[in-house]
Amino acid sequence: MSRIRIAALALGLCIFYIAGLRLCVRASEAPVTFNRQIAPILYKNCTTCHHPGGGGPFSLLTYEEARRRGPQLVQVTASRFMPPWLPEHGYGDFADERRLTAEEIALIQKWVSSGMPRGDDPAPPPPHYNTTWTLGKPDLILTIQHPATLPASGSDIFLNFDLPYPLDQTHYIRAMEIRPGTPQVVHHANVLIDRTASWRRGHPDTWRDGVPGMELMVDAGETFDPDSHFLFWKPDTPALVEAPGMPWRLDPGNDLILNMHLKPSGKPETIAAQIGLYFTSTPPSDHPMLLQLEHDTVLDIPPGKSDFLVEDELKLPVDVDVLGVYPHAHYLGRDLQGYAILPDGEKKWLIWIRNWDIDRQSVYRYRHPVFLPKGTTIHMRYTYDNSAGNVHNPNDPPIRVRAGNRSVDEMGHLWLQVLPVNTPPNSPDPRLLLEAAWMQDRLRKVPDDTLALYNLAAVDIAEGKYPDATRIYQKVVSLNPKDARAWNGLGVALENSGDWHSALEAFKKASDADPSLTDAIYNRGKIELDHGTPSDAEQSFRAVLQQSPNDASAHSGLAQALVGEGNQAAAQSEFETALRIDPLNLDALEGLGQLALSQGQPAQAVGLLEKAVQRSPGDSVTRQQLALAYAQSGRYADAGQQLKEALRLTPGDPQVHAMLSQVVEATGDLRQAIAEQQKALLLNSSDADGWNNLGVLEARSGNAAAAREDFAHALRIAPDHAAAKANLARLNTGAKAQ
Amino acid sequence: MRCLRNGWWSAIWHFTASQFVVLLLLHTAALAATAPYGVDLDGHPVMLAQSAAPAIVLFFTASDCPIANRYEPELLRLERKFAPSRVEFWWVYANPEDTAAVVRQHQSQFPGSAHVILDTEQSLVHLAHATVTPEAAIFIPGNGALHEVYRGRIDDRYISLGQERPHAMHHELEDAIADVLARRAVHEPGGPPVGCSIVPLEALSQ
Repeated sequence: MSRIRIAALALGLCIFYIAGLRLCVRASEAPVTFNRQIAPILYKNCTTCHHPGGGGPFSLLTYEEARRRGPQLVQVTASRFMPPWLPEHGYGDFADERRLTAEEIALIQKWVSSGMPRGDDPAPPPPHYNTTWTLGKPDLILTIQHPATLPASGSDIFLNFDLPYPLDQTHYIRAMEIRPGTPQVVHHANVLIDRTASWRRGHPDTWRDGVPGMELMVDAGETFDPDSHFLFWKPDTPALVEAPGMPWRLDPGNDLILNMHLKPSGKPETIAAQIGLYFTSTPPSDHPMLLQLEHDTVLDIPPGKSDFLVEDELKLPVDVDVLGVYPHAHYLGRDLQGYAILPDGEKKWLIWIRNWDIDRQSVYRYRHPVFLPKGTTIHMRYTYDNSAGNVHNPNDPPIRVRAGNRSVDEMGHLWLQVLPVNTPPNSPDPRLLLEAAWMQDRLRKVPDDTLALYNLAAVDIAEGKYPDATRIYQKVVSLNPKDARAWNGLGVALENSGDWHSALEAFKKASDADPSLTDAIYNRGKIELDHGTPSDAEQSFRAVLQQSPNDASAHSGLAQALVGEGNQAAAQSEFETALRIDPLNLDALEGLGQLALSQGQPAQAVGLLEKAVQRSPGDSVTRQQLALAYAQSGRYADAGQQLKEALRLTPGDPQVHAMLSQVVEATGDLRQAIAEQQKALLLNSSDADGWNNLGVLEARSGNAAAAREDFAHALRIAPDHAAAKANLARLNTGAKAQ
Repeated sequence: MRCLRNGWWSAIWHFTASQFVVLLLLHTAALAATAPYGVDLDGHPVMLAQSAAPAIVLFFTASDCPIANRYEPELLRLERKFAPSRVEFWWVYANPEDTAAVVRQHQSQFPGSAHVILDTEQSLVHLAHATVTPEAAIFIPGNGALHEVYRGRIDDRYISLGQERPHAMHHELEDAIADVLARRAVHEPGGPPVGCSIVPLEALSQ
């Protein structure tokens, strides 16, 4: 042990002096041996892949194995082909930098040229590698449904597998591990979250089998929920553990899409990948997001052109920490640069790859977050080589190449994972500003970029700027009147702006453009439901269910329509169907809860509505319904608690004050009950029922004059208010009797 | 430091000769017709020089070399293509670790040719001057001897370790076999073979 320490110290001194004095060359004449110098280099840099069962094609764990590859070790380390590491040293400080020092490369050369001695020192213990999940058994394992077969030969293949998230609860993911099945044939893999299962719907016949394609696009839905994490795997990535406070989220109905770059091995290989997920119950406290720089529309590279430049830039609207970077190009990419120009003009390198190689692409995570203040401009500067001299050129002779999804097409993306920092208190989600800046940048490049317009509209909707969102969607539909998605988005924006008539028209146009867009039919049903035409709503929801029989929300909507039509038995059955499909479907839980209340079964209602509150704790209306169920069960304290929580969520809601008044009254606290009812009437003074209720409370408390005035107030608002009339009569009769 | 008898370290040099040097009969290695050059999987000597084939192609391969493995389908394609012309293809396992049992296991995974030679003495390696796997050599048998007319890479897909084309542009071995059959001059390959070094027997004798 002590001898190893001394050797290490001597080596350290050599490194220290080598630049100036070249003492090292003379001082290290002692034989280089496997046990003393080579094994530690291999164990630190090589054997994470090169071990039995690992991603490397052969093992380097033992002396015999290393000696078998000796000359190759010299060759591949001298050329820096191995260990695989593309970024230029010093242009971004990355964690897990896998790069040999010049001294280590020289040691390997010397070891091989001196006959590869084992050495008399005790061998260091080889590292241990798990043959199963490195973090233990995952909480959830997703397996591709139909293992694909990779042909024995041919060019590399890019396949996408869809793995539906099968659980009916949201989970936060603190770590993920991909087990590709045959790691030797998998160059890298990316996992994308498809929040709307759009990709599966887009490939109804093939999603189980693996669909070819280098890139893919998914529909993120109408809500602002940006991608946040690089879910990337390469052979030396054992498991992807997220930083504390930054788990990612999977909701019921989400899909994971596994995008795999596969290399034929010489024999047919079975691709039976698995994804292991590790949960945490702690929701994220920090919310990073992914930003992309690109300029694919100018990617039009003439044949023979060896220095075709593509640039993009993005100005940051907020302070961020850059956590990671993922440069991406296909086979013609050569020199890939990413850097930031700070507001004071300082240039800060994010990454520089001088010799791009798609086979060795990776996500790079910074050792320490790179702080970029607001006003910084991030630059992407990629150079492409479409000459015959580029050995990676897939076309012989070179041809004109444009952006696209196939390997003979090209791409140029610089992805960054950023975490907004220094956000002032009470300001909106800074990711909205980043998304808006990103999308404005896209529009600057392509004014009619539909994707950017969609995303900008989603930002506006998230910020409650419905008229702005309406204008954007109107632009999209004027560009493409057949864009059903945009008509549907326009409907959502209009409905939220209060113009439900126009919204209804927009949803109808969406259905005309694409009858299979069930979202539009569903949204139409919702409006019909909310605006008093339950029979129309019934037809709409039934139309949705004809196309998507397992749409739990449509079953709930149908049930609500049936309630509106007075058909409670059929409604009950539909709500129950919705719950069978989605045990936490909010509308179904609430609907069944209300039906139970109306049928005089408050205990059953409590059970359902408690689940509803659990599912949606920030919903004031749900809490009010639960309070009602508690009150009907005689649980006034619980009811009061729910109403106070509801008031915290919707402070100015007169209805909640009125309900609270009644609950407090039931506990005998008349004074507090009167105070709550007065608060309710202060917020909504035109509520005849409220004035009547206040009168009853005043009368009970012995204040007949006030009660009389309250009943009279109710009758001024609603002259035919029967209860107020009766109460006033009773009060007058009582007064006469006295 | 020990001196190596044959300086095998220098055997991984790279070919830099110009691409279009025309060669016919690169080496004339006169071999005794009865000398065994390798054994088959059952241990029986394989007498290549006695063959009546118009050309013999040796495919130097290894059980543990990923690039050699990737060329298995290509070599099978060539074997099938030139079978009507009676060209003989031999899968030559040149590394000492590739025993009959190891090779049988490998052949069960990678469906290679039925023509397998274990080059236990590495005499074929020396005869062909092969340095890595995968690498190919073409010999013309005649008068009880083998005359080498081509040696080197199979095609130009790999330029070096880490530099690989999406697919080959020039199928140099295939072209060379066609040239031999047409009695044309054979071209040298345009670049060095790329793959895993053949382990010299000397390395194990230290």
